[in-house]
Amino acid sequence: MLAYLVRRLLYGFVTVLGVLGLLFVLFFLYAEPIDIARRALGDKAPQAALEQWVHSHGYDRPRLEQLVDHYRSMLTFDFGRSDADGTLLSDRLWRGAGPSLTVTVPTFVLGVCLGVGLALFVAYFRETYIDRAGVVICVLAMSVSIVLYIIGAQYLLGKLLRWFPISGFDPRPELVLRFMALPWTIGVLAGIGGDVRFYRTVFLEESSKDYVRTARAKGCGDGRIMLRHVLRNALIPILTHVVVAIPLLFTGALLTESFFGIPGLGSLTVDAINQNDFSSLRVIVYVGSVLFVLGQLLTDVAYTLADPRVRLE
Amino acid sequence: MRRRVASALAGALLCAACNNSPYPDGDALLAVRYRSQASVPKTLDPAVSYDAGTHQILVNLYEPPLEYHYLRRPYQLIPGIALALPVPERRAGGRVAYALRLRPDLRFQDDACFEAFGTALPGAQTRRLLASDLAFAITRHADPEVGSPVSEIFAKIEGARAFTRQLVERREQSSGFRALRIDEQYREAGGISGLRVQDPDRLELMLSETDLQFLYWFAMPFTAPVPWEAIAWYDGRDGRDFFKDHPVGAGPYRVARTDKQGFLALERNPNWYGARHPEWRAPAATYPSEGEPGDAEAGLLDPAYAGKPLPFLERIEYRLDKEAIPRFNKFLQGYYDASGISKENFDRVIQGNDLSPDMRAMGVSLEKSVDLGIFYLGFNMRDAVLGGPAGARGRALRRALSLAIDASEFARLFMNGRGVPAQSPLPPGLFGYDADYRNPYREPDLERARAELARAGYPGGVDPATAEPLRITLDVPDTSTAARLQFSFFLQAWRKLGIDAVLDATHYNRFQDKVRDGAYQVFYWGWHADFPDPENFLFLLHGPNSAIDSGGINYANFEDARYDALYLEMKNLPNGAARERVIREMVGIVERERPWIELFHSEDYALFHGWLRNLKPAGLIFPSDKYAAIDPVLRHELRRAWNRPVRWPAYALGALGFAVVLPGVVTFFRERQ
Repeated sequence: MLAYLVRRLLYGFVTVLGVLGLLFVLFFLYAEPIDIARRALGDKAPQAALEQWVHSHGYDRPRLEQLVDHYRSMLTFDFGRSDADGTLLSDRLWRGAGPSLTVTVPTFVLGVCLGVGLALFVAYFRETYIDRAGVVICVLAMSVSIVLYIIGAQYLLGKLLRWFPISGFDPRPELVLRFMALPWTIGVLAGIGGDVRFYRTVFLEESSKDYVRTARAKGCGDGRIMLRHVLRNALIPILTHVVVAIPLLFTGALLTESFFGIPGLGSLTVDAINQNDFSSLRVIVYVGSVLFVLGQLLTDVAYTLADPRVRLE
Repeated sequence: MRRRVASALAGALLCAACNNSPYPDGDALLAVRYRSQASVPKTLDPAVSYDAGTHQILVNLYEPPLEYHYLRRPYQLIPGIALALPVPERRAGGRVAYALRLRPDLRFQDDACFEAFGTALPGAQTRRLLASDLAFAITRHADPEVGSPVSEIFAKIEGARAFTRQLVERREQSSGFRALRIDEQYREAGGISGLRVQDPDRLELMLSETDLQFLYWFAMPFTAPVPWEAIAWYDGRDGRDFFKDHPVGAGPYRVARTDKQGFLALERNPNWYGARHPEWRAPAATYPSEGEPGDAEAGLLDPAYAGKPLPFLERIEYRLDKEAIPRFNKFLQGYYDASGISKENFDRVIQGNDLSPDMRAMGVSLEKSVDLGIFYLGFNMRDAVLGGPAGARGRALRRALSLAIDASEFARLFMNGRGVPAQSPLPPGLFGYDADYRNPYREPDLERARAELARAGYPGGVDPATAEPLRITLDVPDTSTAARLQFSFFLQAWRKLGIDAVLDATHYNRFQDKVRDGAYQVFYWGWHADFPDPENFLFLLHGPNSAIDSGGINYANFEDARYDALYLEMKNLPNGAARERVIREMVGIVERERPWIELFHSEDYALFHGWLRNLKPAGLIFPSDKYAAIDPVLRHELRRAWNRPVRWPAYALGALGFAVVLPGVVTFFRERQ
């Protein structure tokens, strides 16, 4: 297993190097250093100030030298400062992680619980109108864009029904729930269609296996079969689906954070793209790719925990 | 246990659903002004920030020597922390001196940085604000490591460039020098010779060239005094903030709380001179008792506030709200006190030229103000076809193109009519603006345009040299689909003359390259003034500012000997009949030569709730928050009335779900049995 993990880590390392290189090439194909300076200093900044900025940030060095420096600073986790405003990026990551996790973790937990619960429910009533209605609703839910969910929910639940604040964020304990109720609801609703469909398929596949028939023949109740046998045996595909997403919770929810004015890492990503802030963007992409690789690895490990028959060779 | 957690969570969610207020319930009756910001300010350093949104915050935290009168128009400077407006004194060699005398007994806000360096007054966390602090703030613009976007303006101070050279050299030569405190570095580098601190309250500033408009820079945050202790202390080390995130000023407000991610709460600064010395009745610390005609009728001279010491608001809170739609909806719910109008909401809010009945029923008022800016189409006067080399033909062609453009229609189609058609480079509200002036080439007239085109030698828009329609390229620094659609308006107008007008939309950098190389014919551009003086517009056509020759802001590369001479004369004249005469002649030259097609001065439409008092929109960034007042009781009552939650859909949805699922469940079990 150790050899397997080392091998996967090495693959992951190469992948991350590739991502960093690709980001560098793509970014500088699109953006000129002087444009980064202009975004940082403003449109009215004189040419001399822009050139001074480019020089002091090292963007006038040969590209190869910049690429080597780019790899060095990322691989040593020396993130430096934001091009847009000079903030220490390690600070920014820490500050943004809190709001992002406040949005993503409860959404994720609620989404998984509700998804599994509803999937068990419709799978239990398979071939009835409840199951068929569930499929229709799930497909409809999957077809709607997250932006429409956000705008629609802000309008309906925030503006018309006045249940939640339309947008905003406040980490104070007495206010955080008030602000988060709507993003959580939207996050769960936006993901629930696909999740329920996936989990239902997994449960139905398990339900048709021999051990279920045997359990039923032995007089085991339907509820007990679903919860004790089917759910436990369906854990591997569920784990694949769930564990890989866990590390990415740190990188936040791009659109939700942007629309709700939540100052998390998703919002930081959108800002970095809009402001041509290469130094921030590369840190976010780097952290995101490292977490993704770790997520894959974690999923593999989780297989062995969920199913002792699986061996990592 | 599980059941208890679930019920607690359900209870909390239910509780959350009871209230859509984004603010703590305890603040409901406080005079807090709630403002939104679309992005997190990059810096709160007054020497670096150069965007309108951040300046709106900085004017509350920092106190420059001068300000503008809150109500009078045209804009009029008044003393801020200076005792009086400095009078420019002409000295030998074309130099100009400004003597600034600060009010005595000024203090910075309380801050730990003063104690850290032992400079705090006994028993206090602050110290006196001195003329040397003003000199220090101005010197920072000459320090390349500060990154001032207006360093070129302050380089006009005698000895500024020499100081910069010396500072850079010393820093490069010696790490010991770099390790010195920032004020010591400046002192060791010799300081700026044109900044002379004459006594604790007096500073003389010597410009190496005549520039009477320099006075306006004393009314901007760029010249607000900052304590050297704050720069030295807030260096990001040992867990301390950076100065850009930790303002230490002497303004009417100070930072109470910030998460550096969009939330910023300001509270009154008890050390502000207006709070400590209301008996001075200083002009910038007292609500004005007189304004311009119409102010009294607009409720801006309410006796409850006129002549009273400022500020009126307890707190000002800024919150991050990036998207226009939720921002506007929160305004409608009463959670923001004022709002602009986005394109999406315009037709709902404005009907005819006034507020919709719905808005009026809510007690919302609409205030319009014209920006101190202009949008225009410029011609590259170096172009062989359109510009100076084409002589009279080029002039006639420019006139023809100008006569084809209907700026009112453009503003109506693309800006909801929020633009005043421009007749000259000068916007309303400026000295020299003539409301009765009508530019004969700015009234759309296709017949005259065709006649001018024929005079230019292109009858029917056809170039006789090629027998093909004349090709004109419009360069724009925006490649978006919306922009292409917008700019095609101009192309369509010129095509009506038979001209083959094409668009070349590029990214900003490419556009800048084209400007530098002179590789363009017609371009779309805009300008927003830094200060309310005609010079700040007329310099855009001053020959020596040519973009090709000097990298300046004269993108049209317009050169006219008479215009240039008049510009220099106008620049150094005080406002009066003589200056007005010169300006009129300059506007006449622009009318005749047509280096620009003046399009419009954009208009701001602002919506204010009825509980917000004393707000007068301005085309400039003003310290308006200290004049604003709020009726928190009225706000609280209206918010409550407008935000009662509608709960029945939740019950109906639950009942519907139950009704749909229950028969299925019952049938299912019955069949199985």
